[in-house]
Amino acid sequence: MNSDTKTFLKKFNKKEDLNYIEKKEQIILTTRARIARNLSNFRFNSASSKEEKREIYKLLKEAFYSSNSKDDFKFFSVARLNKVKRFFLVEEHILSPEMLSKINGRGVIVRLGKDGFDRSLSILINEEDHLRIQSIYPGLDIGRVYMEVSNIEKDLSNRLRFAYDSDFGYLTSCPTNVGTSLRLSIIAHLPAIVAAGKIEEFIENLINIGCSIRGYYGENSDIFGNLFQISNQVSLGRYEKQIIEDMRAICLNIIDEEKDALKAIREKNEPVVEDSIYRSYGMLKFARMLSYGEALELISMIKLGQDLDIIEFVKPFDFYQLISLLGESNIILASNKDLRPGSNEVDKMRACIIREKILKRN
Amino acid sequence: MLCDLCKKNNASVHLVKIVDGKTERISLCIDCFKNLAMFSAEGFLDEIPKILKKVFESDIKMGDKNDTEKLFSEIDNDKDKKCPFCGSDLNSIKNTGRFGCEYCYREFKNIIKPIIKALHGSTKHVGNVPIISGDEIKIEKEIRDLENRLRDEIFVENFEEAAKLRDTIKKLRGRLYVGRKIE
Repeated sequence: MNSDTKTFLKKFNKKEDLNYIEKKEQIILTTRARIARNLSNFRFNSASSKEEKREIYKLLKEAFYSSNSKDDFKFFSVARLNKVKRFFLVEEHILSPEMLSKINGRGVIVRLGKDGFDRSLSILINEEDHLRIQSIYPGLDIGRVYMEVSNIEKDLSNRLRFAYDSDFGYLTSCPTNVGTSLRLSIIAHLPAIVAAGKIEEFIENLINIGCSIRGYYGENSDIFGNLFQISNQVSLGRYEKQIIEDMRAICLNIIDEEKDALKAIREKNEPVVEDSIYRSYGMLKFARMLSYGEALELISMIKLGQDLDIIEFVKPFDFYQLISLLGESNIILASNKDLRPGSNEVDKMRACIIREKILKRN
Repeated sequence: MLCDLCKKNNASVHLVKIVDGKTERISLCIDCFKNLAMFSAEGFLDEIPKILKKVFESDIKMGDKNDTEKLFSEIDNDKDKKCPFCGSDLNSIKNTGRFGCEYCYREFKNIIKPIIKALHGSTKHVGNVPIISGDEIKIEKEIRDLENRLRDEIFVENFEEAAKLRDTIKKLRGRLYVGRKIE
């Protein structure tokens, strides 16, 4: 290990404690709620001029800060962020991938937690709609994420008039978001369902009950690391409470299914699964470079190994935190160097972190 | 096989509905199909299988040619209509998959209703509604009354009067103002 990586890891050590004493289930990794709103009497973003966007930007920012302290929130103009920071916010699911390319007239307000950005509340200005309020919490916590976004929306609605129709509800740029405009999503880690060969049926069932199921980065993203983003499709014609209760029931079902799949694998005791897990361990232990996608695939298998009590030489770890920490921009920012995402340098560091942080020295 | 609807192009989309052993089938060319789907934005095309599933269960019965022809003639009639607020027409909405403003939803309501029904299974909002003050409710009612009169004046071709009404409506709308602050 050269001195560069040593310094880098020192910084990492200060930042997070990845090792847990208690083992967490981590089937539902995060819960997210998102509400979209547009200002009345302004064109939506697909049709508006630069000036209109600027006016909306100003109005929304003022409205927000008229009742929220600047100490608790940090405001960013997306265009003024450098590429790595922008990418970081996308990896943290605060910005949408769309905001990487179209950056003008867009802003984001993020709550400041004790460790910097808090995903518990963020507000996007001029993304697909004028206003998008979102909240992310670890684990399964639908009630809380909904309260966060709902409170902000209520507060802003005292100052702003939103585009609304008595038939179609709140009006949005894309018709898939009208009505309550509420999108609830969870990120589920389902290695057992995948390993048990049940994933296709699982996906079809979810689609039949009105969920959309996507990869980790949402629309247009691939599925990797056995991570699935599951959200409600319908936002019109149902009360917010119904959407919440339905999603909660679906999540509990998902947890049950994953646990059942784990049980089935344990009982069948097929050598294929154990082999996959140990091969993954081998890769993680010896690979000198690991891309983000590959790392998550391998770590997912290790997590499965832990859940099946198959694998021993691994410290218990927080998969949720690791997913964030191993992201491209996270590594680049922590390294304080001008590295390119996807470069060998980053992949090298990633492999190093994994060896040091997850794998016991034996 | 020719498209069942326009009877000109080759059909490449075949929709089959089987209920209780009875089969209904309609074959469409890609243009008529897109017209029906209304949005050719990429992400939306992925949703088509799910939407079609819902469409089959909704007001438009794909097997019933009368219904679809009715929808198509409405699309045809509205082809040159523009939204009075943002100027979007059906074509631009179709190509981007996005609406230009809130008034588009009202202007193209007939076309939009079946699409929304296909997407959400419903065309009536329930749940949280905006809190509107008494004054605003009055202004909204006044606007609705004026719009009705506007329609009548246009019908009897009283265009001067119609123009005056349109201006009044515009002023009133401006008073339903965004960004008002609570004193």
